[in-house]
Amino acid sequence: METLGNLAFGLGVALTWQHLIYCFVGCFLGTLVGVLPGIGPVATVAMLLPFTFGLGPAPALIMLAGIYYGAQYGGSTTAILVNIPGESSSVITTLDGHQMARRGRAGPALGIAAIGSFIAGCIATLVVAFFAPPLAELALKFGPAEYFSLMVFGLIAAVVLARGSVIKAIAMVCFGILLGLVGTDVNSGTIRFGFGQPELTDGIGFVALAMAFFGITDVVANLEHKDKSDVYGERLGRVLPSWEDMRVSFWSIMRGTALGSILGILPGGGALLASFAAYMFEKKIAKPPRTFGEGDIRGVAAPESANNAGAQTSFIPMLTLGIPSNPTMALMIGALMIQGIAPGPQVMTERPELFWGLVASMWVGNLMLLVLNLPLIGLWVKLLAVPYRLLYPAIFVFCCIGVFTVDAKIFDIYMLAGLSAVAYVLFKLDCEPAPLILGFILGPMMEEQMRRAMMINFGDVTIFLSRPISAAFLIAAAVMMLLIALPALRAKREVAMQE
Amino acid sequence: MRIRSPKDFWAGLFFIAVALGFIGLSRQYGTGNMHRMGPGLFPTLVSVLLASLGLIISARAFVVDGPPVPRFHARPIIVSLAAIALFGMALAQFGLIAAVAALVLAGAVASRESRPLETLGLVIALIAFSALVFVWLLGLPIRLWPDA
Repeated sequence: METLGNLAFGLGVALTWQHLIYCFVGCFLGTLVGVLPGIGPVATVAMLLPFTFGLGPAPALIMLAGIYYGAQYGGSTTAILVNIPGESSSVITTLDGHQMARRGRAGPALGIAAIGSFIAGCIATLVVAFFAPPLAELALKFGPAEYFSLMVFGLIAAVVLARGSVIKAIAMVCFGILLGLVGTDVNSGTIRFGFGQPELTDGIGFVALAMAFFGITDVVANLEHKDKSDVYGERLGRVLPSWEDMRVSFWSIMRGTALGSILGILPGGGALLASFAAYMFEKKIAKPPRTFGEGDIRGVAAPESANNAGAQTSFIPMLTLGIPSNPTMALMIGALMIQGIAPGPQVMTERPELFWGLVASMWVGNLMLLVLNLPLIGLWVKLLAVPYRLLYPAIFVFCCIGVFTVDAKIFDIYMLAGLSAVAYVLFKLDCEPAPLILGFILGPMMEEQMRRAMMINFGDVTIFLSRPISAAFLIAAAVMMLLIALPALRAKREVAMQE
Repeated sequence: MRIRSPKDFWAGLFFIAVALGFIGLSRQYGTGNMHRMGPGLFPTLVSVLLASLGLIISARAFVVDGPPVPRFHARPIIVSLAAIALFGMALAQFGLIAAVAALVLAGAVASRESRPLETLGLVIALIAFSALVFVWLLGLPIRLWPDA
């Protein structure tokens, strides 16, 4: 029952006027930017990061979380109305969601997405509240060897579960780690890879990196194609789903939530994998009439619930272990560091108001999204009609100002331009940016833990295999690599990713 | 020998080049030993891994078929990068208002669909928005005008 007490304490934090306002502003801005086509949650969070700089850690994190949910929901809205998924985890929503919109049922599709997300969010919040503390307690017992192996495991899992070539993704992780090492080495005080630039002593700006790979590159890629969109918003239909719709989709929402909560904890495409798995599952077990792909409301309810549940539970590894499971969580960790907080299991005991306030605000944020989105759907539809030629200069402006405000360094803007060039080339060569971002965040931590482990154990590398927990992580990572190398499974993975 | 997967081939070469660069730079930092790892050791280890991966990726490109490298459209990327750099220079010299104007005006060239009048309107709207929200509302320390 301690958990309930903690939740009540968290609600006390989240329900102060200030925090409610920040949560609301976060959800609103997140949805607003997320609805704009071609901007995913990572770019949204990165762009809106400067809005939180002036705040304390708790309100900043609450607002960022709101931005994240808002962006997720905004992505679903574009998926349904324009057939453009704002982010990978709403790809699957386009299948039935956009078909519903074409049949004049855009309203119920958006409605069920909001309601499903809300139900999923409520349940997933409880999952976080119950599972995070024991995990953090376990993590406090970890030594440097365990931490190092856990990070290896996390990175490998993220790579295996994500899209695209595994070996290229691991190479991207390595590249990310190397970029993360630029700057002053904390142990020796040596400035590494600084090229004599005083601005590089603090390392490469994280926001600049995220913007380059997820903001600027996306814009440039979009500019290479003609501006085309087909909005199906003229006939929204009634927004509230009918009782019949609710009855049909209730269990889909529940199953989606369960799948999403479990898969979200895994590193990697938490929300992405969750939405795919939930859709496939519904398709398999659905009783006739099976109209999946032709605008079946269950095909919207299940993946939307799953990706929201997954988005929520992906906070678990971030909050308890300090390990990001996806690029958005990497941004959250970056934001925490900017606030001067080292993420990890100690956050829960040392800053309980931060942890429980955030957990409670997850629930509050979900409620706000529901209240905000049902009446505002009309406004979002109008926003979708903004042509890209007006949108992208605004994205440039927000990216540039955002990058500058982190440290008030002009150098970071040039860095943004340089990194964007690299990001563009890698994009053309089909190298996924997400692993690079994870490597960038985890690289310095990995080095630090490895050094400590080596220091304690007199340079004995076998320590990683002789400590049981550490060995278990490494073996699990190796097994995943082997599995993905098996031709049969690889074929299956490709089919699943393509559908 | 024929390159059957150009994307992978070039990606592999890119990774190898990056890795070699980092290995070269790491040499000056002192590797120490496994017990007391010097600042150069970990980057070297990661670079060696990256180089090996790059080698595998490139080598595989001779065996497995893959898509060709898509066309690089020069205009959007070069104009965008230039516009961002211009923003930096203008911000340092003349403050935010000039910088936003420079970024939007230059950036508009990146798309063939931009229209002059619209772009002007956009410049004014974005200047007003950034000044209002970032400088006045959020109080971020950004200079609006050039120093007198």
